[in-house]
Amino acid sequence: MNPFKLAWIYLRIGVMNELQYRVNFFIQLLQTSVALATGLIGLSLVFGQVDKLAGWTRAELLAVMGVHILMGGVIRSAIQPNMERLMNDVLNGTLDFALTKPADAQTLVSVREFRFWQLTDVLVGLVVIGVAVNQLQTGMDALQVLAFIAALIMGAVMLYCVWLMVTSIAFWVIRVSEIVNLFEGLYAAGRWPVSVYPDWLRTGLTFLVPVAFAVTVPAEAMTNRLTGETMLFAFGLTLLFAILARAVWLIGLRSYSGASA
Amino acid sequence: MRRYIDYYLASMRISILQQFQYRVANYFYMIGMIAEPVIYLVVWSTIANQQGGVVGGYTPGAFAAYYIVWTLVRNMNIVFTPYGWEERIREGSLSMDLMRPIHPIHFDIAFFAGWKVVVIVLWLPLAAFLTWVFKPTFDVTWMEAVVFFIAIWGAYLIRTMLLSLLGMITFWTTRVSAIFELYFGLELILSGRLVPMTLMPQWVQNLSTYLPFKWTFFFPIEALVGGMSTQDLWAGVGMQILWIVVGASILSVVWRAAIRQFSAVGG
Amino acid sequence: MSTVVSISQLAKYYQVPEREAGLKASIASLFNRKYKNIKAVDGITFDIGAGEVVGFLGPNGAGKTTTLKMLSGLLHPTSGDVRVLGYEPRHRSHDYLKQITLVMGNRNQLTWDLPALDSFDLQRAVYGIPADQFKRTRDEFIELLELKDLVNKPVRNLSLGERMKMEIVAALLHQPKVLFLDEPTIGLDVTMQRRIRTFVAEYNKRYNATVLLTSHYMADVEALCKRVIVIHHGRILFDGDLSKLVSQFSSYKTLSLSLQNTDVELSKYGEVVGREDGRVTLRVPKAQTSQVTARLLSDLQVDDLTVEDAPVDDVIDQVFSQKEDA
Repeated sequence: MNPFKLAWIYLRIGVMNELQYRVNFFIQLLQTSVALATGLIGLSLVFGQVDKLAGWTRAELLAVMGVHILMGGVIRSAIQPNMERLMNDVLNGTLDFALTKPADAQTLVSVREFRFWQLTDVLVGLVVIGVAVNQLQTGMDALQVLAFIAALIMGAVMLYCVWLMVTSIAFWVIRVSEIVNLFEGLYAAGRWPVSVYPDWLRTGLTFLVPVAFAVTVPAEAMTNRLTGETMLFAFGLTLLFAILARAVWLIGLRSYSGASA
Repeated sequence: MRRYIDYYLASMRISILQQFQYRVANYFYMIGMIAEPVIYLVVWSTIANQQGGVVGGYTPGAFAAYYIVWTLVRNMNIVFTPYGWEERIREGSLSMDLMRPIHPIHFDIAFFAGWKVVVIVLWLPLAAFLTWVFKPTFDVTWMEAVVFFIAIWGAYLIRTMLLSLLGMITFWTTRVSAIFELYFGLELILSGRLVPMTLMPQWVQNLSTYLPFKWTFFFPIEALVGGMSTQDLWAGVGMQILWIVVGASILSVVWRAAIRQFSAVGG
Repeated sequence: MSTVVSISQLAKYYQVPEREAGLKASIASLFNRKYKNIKAVDGITFDIGAGEVVGFLGPNGAGKTTTLKMLSGLLHPTSGDVRVLGYEPRHRSHDYLKQITLVMGNRNQLTWDLPALDSFDLQRAVYGIPADQFKRTRDEFIELLELKDLVNKPVRNLSLGERMKMEIVAALLHQPKVLFLDEPTIGLDVTMQRRIRTFVAEYNKRYNATVLLTSHYMADVEALCKRVIVIHHGRILFDGDLSKLVSQFSSYKTLSLSLQNTDVELSKYGEVVGREDGRVTLRVPKAQTSQVTARLLSDLQVDDLTVEDAPVDDVIDQVFSQKEDA
């Protein structure tokens, strides 16, 4: 079955399910607001001391924060729930249900969970981005917007691939839930543009956990920093990650099916 | 009294044995946790370097020292989550706890205390690694080390009181997420976890002196790395003791009301 | 024999908000909160003497667990008096708690990842048991239940039955004078149930402890209790010798038949209490069971036949309906 159609089917079910719990919207909104408030306080503390941080102005850093929140919402609504369920399935041996369905297994395990109310973060992120773009005064032309959206999509795909690869380790190691903690910690690094970090850290944040590409590059698209080279590089990296992830998944799957008797 | 010491030792022993079995999981958790202070450290060091080496009295080396000690204090601050009370009440484990001829909070304190012993041991190599990477400037006197050791346990006890009180709200309503999240947000800012309190605007610093938060986080760290005077060091310990006493008093009142509520409605 | 448990007109009422489904009702409930009064325990009275083993029988929701919780101090009564060992349970004095124990069938007290021995040591510290007394009691119990090889294994590696044995040992290490056992054998296989029953009986004999036992299983009660108290809808329906209860109310057996042809007239064999899809259920007086069974097998084409004791719920219902008539 066509992966998009599959995703759409699961999305509808997930949304209908969660709409029952309207209170979750307010809880999520509150959590995000508290996180946003602390982020803004952090930002004002920084800009109480300096005018620019590693070459980024306050409005530009606000844009970075907005993208970070938005991407965080995408992760927590679409990527993380699926990966956590995958981990559980491998641990408990219930992955078989997914494997016996007439659809590509990777697609299935990647789209069947969706936490609707986490989209609140996407909304809040967009609002923050809007405020930041407004403050930037330079505005965004159509090409920039296109680049921004493309960068976001590529960033999300890269994060998904890395998540899938790490989760696939469960095929061999079984207990990977602690690694999720690491991931969440590392994603927090995306609050700031990658140029703030020392070189050695920057490499890790670009290739190991592509936070740099998920957050900084879209922010660069908005703030006139994006070069054609970076976009090309991002595209190449996305492709590389996608192929790697698919390979790791297939190998892991083979080992899983071989092991369960 | 002897019986309580015996109980604490027995509970801590069990906790240590148990947590040692989970040392790998504990390690991963601690490693994931250092991301937060490292990010703060990097950002503030960048600012310091931009400003000619110092910001708010802290050099990058001083920031490194602050945030490395931060990692231990953060771990000492982890106590039974207020979200856990809902499960306790619902699952009935609270009923069984109430059958014991010892106040349930003693088990919480003892159990987590034992866990902290394991945490402290696991932390040492992590601290060594961070020191090697970030090159903090350390200038510690014996007095500071002693007060620090007292202060981290004081912080542990204060936070136990605070979060137990928070968790007990669950006895009256299960719609507690909003209150908890607000509390954690406030705590993040007012405790010294986000930045050293001395970098905050003056009015925030004044406010935080009257609240318990800074005594669970900022004070222990500063005791070790801040070059405080002997008078200030011991005055700080005094404040911690004050907050523990205040917390315990409020706790015993609220607890009695909570149990009355629980016994009326049943678990 | 001194009185250990004394209950007089004990009652526990709950107020539960009542609301119908639908939007209109939701809005209405904002202004006019309607409450339903639930009478979990509705005025019960009994005394229990030292060393007695008493069974509480009754279907779900009858009030058994609520009564036990009031006796152990977890619930405050709405009205009435309750005294155990001279204490008022709801004050939950430490001296009181040291003399009683509450065991609930599916509750875990033991630390999951460590051997039971470690949990036993923790119990010693909790109850302040003197070291030599503790060792003696612990070793005595381990021997009685044959746990020597198991006490050093982490609790998570034990089977459900083995775990339950450990839980009971842990619950009795402080030599309580009064035992409140709430469904202690639930979920266990028959052999395990028997072991635990034997152990409780032995403890009762050696320490002259008073035991209150609630159970679904007639077998638990039959094995341990001379006296039963039947509770239904929060009221006592029967309080007396078990033998009298059994002979009075459990005088029937239930026959369950699978027949080729279910249209056959069966009333001459016994009372037909159920007929569906090829299965017929007959109620037959105990004394006539073998006779009727033989006749059925010779007269009819029987695919399958099972003989069962009247289920406890039926017995209770019978007791209840009898009280209503009287």
